[in-house]
Amino acid sequence: MAKKILVIDDEPDMVTFLSTLLEDNGYEILTASDGDEGLLKVKKEKPDLVSLDLLMPNKTGIKMFRELRRDPEISAIPVVMVTGFATDDTPNMDFKKWIHERSIRPPEAYIEKPVDKDALLKEIKRILG
Amino acid sequence: MLKNAIHFVKRFTRSLSFKISFYAGLVIFLALLVFSYKTISSQESSFIKKTVKDSVKDSEVIKAAIGNGMMTKERGVIREIINAIGMTEGFREINIYDQKGILYYSTKQIKSPVPINLSNDPLLYDLKTNSHVRHKISDDGSVITVVNPLLNIPSCSASACHAHPEIEKILGAVELKIGLSNIRQEISRNSHKTIAFAIALFLVICTMSGAAVLLFVNPAVKNLQEKTSKMAKGEYEPHGQTVGKDEMADLTRAFDYMSLQINLRTNQLDTSRRMYKALFDEAPCYLTVIDKNFRISRANRTFNAQFGEKVNQHCFAGYKNKSSRCENCPVEKTFYDGSSHQSEEIWNIDGHESHVIVKTSPIFDEKGQIEEVLEMAIDVTLLKKLQFKIEQQRQEFQYLFENVPCYLTVVDKDFNIIRHNNFFARDFGVAEGKKCFQVYKGLEEKCDNCPVEKTFQNRAVNYSEEIWRKKGEDTYIIVYTAPVMDEKGDVTAVMEMSTNITEVKRLQGQLAILGETIAGMSHSIKNILSGLQGGVYVIDSGLTRGRDDRVKAGWTMVKHNVEKISDLVKGILYASKEREPEYQQYELGQLLTEVCDLYEAKAKDEGVQLIRDFQRRITSCLIDPGGVHSALSNLVSNAIHACRTEDTEISHHVVVYGRTERDRLIIKVSDDGVGMPEEISQNLFTKFYSTKGSKGTGLGLVITRKVILEHGGTIKVESKEGQGSVFIIELPFREVIDGGEVENESLLEFSQL
Repeated sequence: MAKKILVIDDEPDMVTFLSTLLEDNGYEILTASDGDEGLLKVKKEKPDLVSLDLLMPNKTGIKMFRELRRDPEISAIPVVMVTGFATDDTPNMDFKKWIHERSIRPPEAYIEKPVDKDALLKEIKRILG
Repeated sequence: MLKNAIHFVKRFTRSLSFKISFYAGLVIFLALLVFSYKTISSQESSFIKKTVKDSVKDSEVIKAAIGNGMMTKERGVIREIINAIGMTEGFREINIYDQKGILYYSTKQIKSPVPINLSNDPLLYDLKTNSHVRHKISDDGSVITVVNPLLNIPSCSASACHAHPEIEKILGAVELKIGLSNIRQEISRNSHKTIAFAIALFLVICTMSGAAVLLFVNPAVKNLQEKTSKMAKGEYEPHGQTVGKDEMADLTRAFDYMSLQINLRTNQLDTSRRMYKALFDEAPCYLTVIDKNFRISRANRTFNAQFGEKVNQHCFAGYKNKSSRCENCPVEKTFYDGSSHQSEEIWNIDGHESHVIVKTSPIFDEKGQIEEVLEMAIDVTLLKKLQFKIEQQRQEFQYLFENVPCYLTVVDKDFNIIRHNNFFARDFGVAEGKKCFQVYKGLEEKCDNCPVEKTFQNRAVNYSEEIWRKKGEDTYIIVYTAPVMDEKGDVTAVMEMSTNITEVKRLQGQLAILGETIAGMSHSIKNILSGLQGGVYVIDSGLTRGRDDRVKAGWTMVKHNVEKISDLVKGILYASKEREPEYQQYELGQLLTEVCDLYEAKAKDEGVQLIRDFQRRITSCLIDPGGVHSALSNLVSNAIHACRTEDTEISHHVVVYGRTERDRLIIKVSDDGVGMPEEISQNLFTKFYSTKGSKGTGLGLVITRKVILEHGGTIKVESKEGQGSVFIIELPFREVIDGGEVENESLLEFSQL
């Protein structure tokens, strides 16, 4: 049975691209366009993996990630963080560091935009086994 | 031989020993003579007294004999007695007179009584009346005559013979003449003896005292004499202790002491003389002594080296090769008033014009009269040149100080401005005496972290960067302070140099912005690329799997991102290109309405109320509608975006405001959204900044500002985090003249703004 992946991104282009890519590689895809919607779908569908955009309206990726990790029901679900920001020139957005300083478990993988297809697939395969 | 003898005698008679012994002897000799004379004369008078006494005795004997003879009538006895007495040594004559002057008896052989005229006889002229015994020495002193009157005694008057009447008091007189030659001889003998003794004594004393002088005084005197002559030659060195206790030894010791003192003084004098001589000669200036005839009587070595040997020449000839006296001669003045004078002159020395300072001072003789004048001439050409150079440099520094394009002030310990440069005065006015903090910043107290104060403390250069706010504009200033020290190294003042670095700061900021812009741009491009990549993949996937829906979706993605990149490029071009606004007659109200209409739907979607605070038809003006439209669109879009908060319960508002105020158009776009922290609002118009993630280009406000500035307007933002922001635009109001046409001139003017 195909593994279920939830793609959360506020940009429809990104959602289309990622869902096409992952579908082509044999995963079952669910989509959401913001954090609130994403969290609802995680709880409802219990996907095997979440691909989460960092910056989104209505709950940023970070906020959603935190809630996901704090909810014991869903906290075990692995997360791949997708971000368009390089960290060098935007120190305020140095979220990796920020997240690691918190007491919650960090995301299982980080993928930077523009998304390298092979790298993404490799990470997902590694996580899902 | 004779000469030698005379010389010797002369020398001898001049010698001290001769003089002492001679005069001592002479004094004693004369004293002795006076003494002998006195003794002899007293001896003589006592002899005479005795002779007189003896004569009186003898006359008494004769008188008795006469009385007796008269009584006995034996007159022969009287004669015998007279003769007997007259025979005695010394007796010359014995005469007996009666009261009438008839000589009755005499040692002179007379036969009968002889009347003698006695009226001229000094002793016998008053024979009848004088009852006293009296005597007289003959003029040649050889005979003494004694007269003893024969008084009428009772026996005479009462006797029976020829009684003398009682009334006759004096009956006659006995006259004795006694020779004094014996006595005289005796006295003369005594005198001769005395004189001989005196001469002998004189010689003895002469010899003795002469010998004493020779023995005791002469050697000491000779010794002193030798010492003196040695001393005169400067050869005498007193040594050893003079023995002896007499006055000569004392004298020698005093002399030695004196000579020591003299030596000492002489040495001192000599030393100072040499010193002054050296000083005179080696002094690094021309020194001459000028006499009353203006001739050089002495000159020092420096003078001689420069001008040659010029002693006895006139000073004006010696110094200046002139043939007549100089005008305004300081030497003359000094001769006139006895005080020092000074003059500055230009001389020709070695063919060069030389500046010389001449000083004169009087030299007095022992009477306090001005004898000569010391002239001192110092060549100060080098000094003058240096002075000139210094003055030149001072002027250069002054010029630099005044015109250097930064504010220069010199400030004292109490922060009073002592001096400032022209550049300072241009912007702050004349401010000497005012407090620096007052003038620079309008403060009442000194600034915190004042670099002037620091420099007073650490005596070093300090600096600080400061921001001056004047008329709402920030000026960035870098202030350097440097100590101004006096010759002791104490800091007396501080120089403050303030440079306006606003432009530098602005460029610095722009550089940073440029960096950020590039980063932001690459980020945007990255996003777009990522979208393109995705689109390409989706089309590929659709083509491979024969799924048209995917091909369509992919194609939409590609188109969408191509549009985005085209927008971005256009934006960048717009932002970076110098362009002139395309002015058209347009109504501001119309323009604002168009913008609001455009965003009405979006605002509703976001739950934001868009409020139009302007009149639809307000004054027509000249404006670039395209540019201003896009500028305002950006602001409204941003305002709506800023209202997108997590809390959807609260309704937000965006107000678009438009008015004309006198010669300006005022447009405000305000929201009650998230607001911005200060660090963002400060760089808002220059930074490539987007809050919209991949949807924004970050160029919006850059373009907005550019449009406004191109219109000659201003834009600013006031914002508070959590409370919202307001963007205020002021545009110059350009009126339409004659139904829409603009005067060429003013158009030109606008385009230059």
